[in-house]
Amino acid sequence: MAYLAELGALIDDLVGTVTVIPATERQKLDACRETALRTLRYNTGNFLRTNQFEVEDQLKGFEERFRVIGRDPLADELCKSLNSLEVHRNKWTPDVLRFILELSDQPAIKSNLTD
Amino acid sequence: MPPPDERSEKQAAAQQAVDILHEISTILNCHLDRRTLSICISMIENGVNPEALATVVKELRKEGQELQPESSAAAARRSGR
Repeated sequence: MAYLAELGALIDDLVGTVTVIPATERQKLDACRETALRTLRYNTGNFLRTNQFEVEDQLKGFEERFRVIGRDPLADELCKSLNSLEVHRNKWTPDVLRFILELSDQPAIKSNLTD
Repeated sequence: MPPPDERSEKQAAAQQAVDILHEISTILNCHLDRRTLSICISMIENGVNPEALATVVKELRKEGQELQPESSAAAARRSGR
């Protein structure tokens, strides 16, 4: 029960930050919350457990790609950040990196270091 | 319960980890702010599948974009009154 309450609160926060719907629009917020819950419930069984080696390969692939297209500063930053993350590594780190990789949007073309 | 010093050290380390992950998400152009990322990290630490969560974020972004014009039009109507 406590788990569901905590997850529900996190979903509320997520809906608030991602959709930027004002708290006064209760109906819209509730609809988005329902969509989020349904998607989580429906999709959770559809994905395999995160393969940490695949995640590492994908990140290395990005670093290589940045270097190939001459975006060495971006590759250096990625390498530096991944090295710094090693100190804080825990059992959830591959999953969080998997999540980040899923949301990446053409970084070789669109990423900007000044952001 | 751990002593306050140990707790604050743990908190600082967690903050640092979120900062680094946020840097990585910026390099990979994920369009995630720090707050959203830390909520997502908490959800993953609660056992939510990362790929399912990414699907949720994409859907919420789409819904937010669809609802945004409606909200701005309603706000404009209210301020025009």
